[in-house]
Amino acid sequence: MASTTVINANATSKLQPSTAAPIEPLKNDAARLYTHIHPILVLSLYAFKFPALVADPVSTLLGTLAPLAVLQIAFVAVCMPPTGGAPTIKKQKPGEKKPKGPGQLEQRLNSKIVPAFLSLLLTAIAATPLLTTTLVLFGAPVSTHHLHTLLCGAHIAILSTLPLVYVHGVNGETWRQIVALLLPMDEVYGGLIGTVLGAWLGAVPIPLDWDREWQKWPVTIVTGAYIGYAVGKLLGGTLLKGKKIMFD
Amino acid sequence: MALRTILLTVANLLIPVAILVFATGFFPYKPFMPGLAEYEELGWDNVLGQGWQQPPEAPFDKLIFMVVDALRSDFVYGEESGMSFVQSLIRDGTALPFTAHATSPTITMPRVKAITTGSIPSFVDVILNFAESDTTSTLATQDTWLAQIKAKDFDDGKGKLVMYGDDTWLKLFPNFFERADGTTSFFVSDFTEVDNNVTRHVPSELLNSDWDAMIMHYLGLDHIGHKAGPKSPNMIPKQKEMDDIVRDIYNAIENEDHLSNTLFVMCGDHGMNDGGNHGGSSPGETSPALVFMSPKLTKVTKNIKRESPVQPKNEGEFEYYRMVEQSDIAPTLAGLLGFPVPRNNLGVFLEEFIGFWDKSSDRVQLLYRNAKQMKKIVEAKYTSLRFDETVLESKEMGFECSGPDASHLTDGQALACLWHSVVDTMEVKGDFVHHIYKFMREAQKTMSGAASNYDVARLFVGTALASIICGLSYFTLPSFRPVTPAGIYYTLTLVLYAILMFASSYVEEEHNFWYWATSGWFMCLFFNNMRKDWYSKWIFHPAIMALAAHRVIRRWNQTGQKYAGADDIVNSGIFHGGNSFVLWALIGATYMDITIRLSRHVARSIATFDQEQKVRNVEVESTDQNRMVGTIAVLPLCGTAFVFKLAFTAKDAPELTNGITGSMMEWVVTLDLIGLARMVFGGLLLSGSWITFAEWYRSKWRAKRGAQGNGDLAVAFFDLTTLFLLTQTKAQNIPLYLLFRLQFFFLTLLDLTPTAVTLTTLLLTQTSFFALGNSNAISSIDLSNSYNGISDYSVLAVGLLVFLSNWAGPVYWSLAGILLLGSHGRPQRYINTSELHVADWIVKEREFLNQMARKEEKSREVRRGAGGEWARHVGLMTLWTGGMLAAVMAACMCLVRSFFLPWRGGLHGMRGLRWGLGVWCGGWARGDFC
Repeated sequence: MASTTVINANATSKLQPSTAAPIEPLKNDAARLYTHIHPILVLSLYAFKFPALVADPVSTLLGTLAPLAVLQIAFVAVCMPPTGGAPTIKKQKPGEKKPKGPGQLEQRLNSKIVPAFLSLLLTAIAATPLLTTTLVLFGAPVSTHHLHTLLCGAHIAILSTLPLVYVHGVNGETWRQIVALLLPMDEVYGGLIGTVLGAWLGAVPIPLDWDREWQKWPVTIVTGAYIGYAVGKLLGGTLLKGKKIMFD
Repeated sequence: MALRTILLTVANLLIPVAILVFATGFFPYKPFMPGLAEYEELGWDNVLGQGWQQPPEAPFDKLIFMVVDALRSDFVYGEESGMSFVQSLIRDGTALPFTAHATSPTITMPRVKAITTGSIPSFVDVILNFAESDTTSTLATQDTWLAQIKAKDFDDGKGKLVMYGDDTWLKLFPNFFERADGTTSFFVSDFTEVDNNVTRHVPSELLNSDWDAMIMHYLGLDHIGHKAGPKSPNMIPKQKEMDDIVRDIYNAIENEDHLSNTLFVMCGDHGMNDGGNHGGSSPGETSPALVFMSPKLTKVTKNIKRESPVQPKNEGEFEYYRMVEQSDIAPTLAGLLGFPVPRNNLGVFLEEFIGFWDKSSDRVQLLYRNAKQMKKIVEAKYTSLRFDETVLESKEMGFECSGPDASHLTDGQALACLWHSVVDTMEVKGDFVHHIYKFMREAQKTMSGAASNYDVARLFVGTALASIICGLSYFTLPSFRPVTPAGIYYTLTLVLYAILMFASSYVEEEHNFWYWATSGWFMCLFFNNMRKDWYSKWIFHPAIMALAAHRVIRRWNQTGQKYAGADDIVNSGIFHGGNSFVLWALIGATYMDITIRLSRHVARSIATFDQEQKVRNVEVESTDQNRMVGTIAVLPLCGTAFVFKLAFTAKDAPELTNGITGSMMEWVVTLDLIGLARMVFGGLLLSGSWITFAEWYRSKWRAKRGAQGNGDLAVAFFDLTTLFLLTQTKAQNIPLYLLFRLQFFFLTLLDLTPTAVTLTTLLLTQTSFFALGNSNAISSIDLSNSYNGISDYSVLAVGLLVFLSNWAGPVYWSLAGILLLGSHGRPQRYINTSELHVADWIVKEREFLNQMARKEEKSREVRRGAGGEWARHVGLMTLWTGGMLAAVMAACMCLVRSFFLPWRGGLHGMRGLRWGLGVWCGGWARGDFC
């Protein structure tokens, strides 16, 4: 019975490291400036809302969801090349067709609006449930705190996957490489890895006996995710840019 | 290669040495003063009067000492207490209530030691509490109030003692009692029988006049606590039952002439926390009740009216009336019954009772004897200081007592000063009582702290040895290139764990770290395997499935302190009462699985001797007929094991078998547990030897034919051990083994590198330890399965069973790790490679089979052990153990000063021991049978 699994494994393809270049931010002054302001804005939003978050996690997480999404969309729209603009190998893209508009401005807007809308949609219907499930698998409470966990998953999704969908679209091969950690490091990919690692490390202080209010679920996880995002984005965009996670 | 073996051997030999050295430094053996105390010449004729050499007359000559195990203060004094008679005595002034602070460890044996000797038992007593050896921990040679009563001359000769209840007393005081009837807490579910066995002796003993002290120790209330917590509906009826016993005894004291001078003491040896457990140092656990009762007490209580029931001093805590030390019981009994204070006593005579003596010289003498006895202990500790019984000048003392800043004095100097102020007031008749109590209290405080002094040099040596182990094993590791995810994760886990050692709250919450690290590792395995082999149904990827199983496993038992009592799967009610068939269905499935596995091994062993097949094939496959015979052969064994579990649970945790009714259950409960357990163990041994013989025969056969083949002994041994561990596991935890087996299966599907296998093993040994409901707290040690198949006490056998039943998870995963490393768990089929080329198959199929076959050969090579993988496994294990030990020991040393509770330090140390025993043994149980 186990042999079938082996055959399957045998039949599947071995992924090759991506040959694509790391995502470069757009080459204009607004993009160069805003890419550094953006993490500061995100962190300030979080820091500003932190006391409220500790006091009432659910409504605060719900309330900051929209501002965070707006910030993230603004970031990708201003700084990042939309999917297709980036030099990725495109084979087929279900659900996305490049509109052939007459006006130059309209085309530019369309080329941004469609991926932005798509990334928001995918973040909401695919990434959020997936990340919430992952949170549960990692030990999030099952019988209580449902909204807490769901909103926590949504925040992590907006931080990590929204920009990724915007720049990479829904190309299956690229996403396989994303999951297999084979993409070259850039701001967006660094942000994803940073967010996920940060959320994971955020669980460490929960069992400590400091008896602080902020040790409650899911404050530390969200905090870890935000800080991880900022750190990962910074490192991915500068120090580690273009590097790939490889083991010899 | 040889050097590496030597290094590893040395490192592993050093592990127990390091633990031993550290443990002796951390839990020093405290010398005690031998011999019985006697009344001695005091001097001070001018104060105490001439020729008084007789001690003051004692108000009581008989003692009834009633210990109710885990009698927390609020069970007697609180508003919801069921002990209304005791409360009425408190209001009448014929009972004096206290809260007696019990120092941790709050378990019975050290507490009994504290109550009877007046000293603070060292941590070693905790371990002895479990060892229960007859010789090492006995108090027969120590000075206790029992020994004093036995030595005292009463009207009718030397004192006589009788004892009914917990047999801890019989073990501590062998041959002390005229009559005794010991009870054991064998089944915690026994709430009534264990107490009735004590109570039935009470009426007749109250009519006997030949004893001078009667000791009773009731266990039922503690059992209720362990089973259902302090809020259990059984708690109030049990308190009422205890109250009725108190009423009977008190009425007898009032009415019987020969009991008229009897002091009646009721106390708890420790309390319990909100979960009903004890062992730690939370307020609930350290606050047992202490009540002195006698009609004569009105003499000392007439001035103070006491209310009852009352509220505790602080809401949510358990301090009722005055908080005294448990060790104060010994000197108080000495004063009230008229015998010398035991030698090693650190208790203080309770000042409420001083009113029994009208003459001031009697009072002074009584307190002075108590203080002088304590002074001797202080003197022995601070040998350089002077504790003379004459007034000294500050020149003779060597330092200034009074001064602008009293904080410059060391502990010893402060005590010396207090002692001299006592001597001063003896001379000039100052406020003697005030000064002498000040000295005694301070001495008690200082010396109790000194009781857990550490031997710093040994601590250093132990830590240094652990570091050497790290160093030695580090050099045995093969090169770190290539860098692998497993290598990185191993390093990170070890480093992070070492750091977290210093966060002392992670002592109780250690499980969270392991659960967290294991989840992360499974995710890491998922990503790593995805990049090697894209798996299209990724939701059902083995690593994800293993993670899902892990998620269920970690919720099975709630452990640790922060969320103690929180809901978990076991306690959620899905296994209780009428639902218990769910549990038993899962348990049945677990046993079924193991039956099928064992039957395969037996079938294989039968096939070994199949002459017909042997002519044709080198490797004899078992036929259907063999399988049938195999199943029939194992069924009795597994069936007996299952019935044993059912019968044991019906006695140990009846709430888990409620759903199973009918004649089968009635038959099961009549079975003899010891016999059943022996049958299981015997069956395991028999099957094990038979399979070993068959495998040996096979390998001989293979060698003769010069062929290669697979041994199956390791897997068979693993499955037999699993059945043994099931027998040693509580019923509600048995389904966990089904989940472990699932995880093991998923892990075999992943192509793990040797380092990854080692890391997985290490993480899962830890996870399984905590998932089975254990923790670093000593109170979580489960003794219920330690007497399986043993009719009388034997240290070695019981110790082994205790170890195996508490470390069952780590043992399971250590062995599973060895199988994973040798690729034993993989689907195995013997394929003759030469046949493949002849057969006319399609190319792809051939390639696949070729690969399968090569996998087989490869894993066989690994198993034959060029040594590389094994050495790496053992090396990593040793490095891990060494690293943990070094971290634990260093953390202990650093935190030693901040531990005001030696308990946490103890936990740290226990963890060190656990590591030494658990993982080290696991690591060394390497597969020589592979």
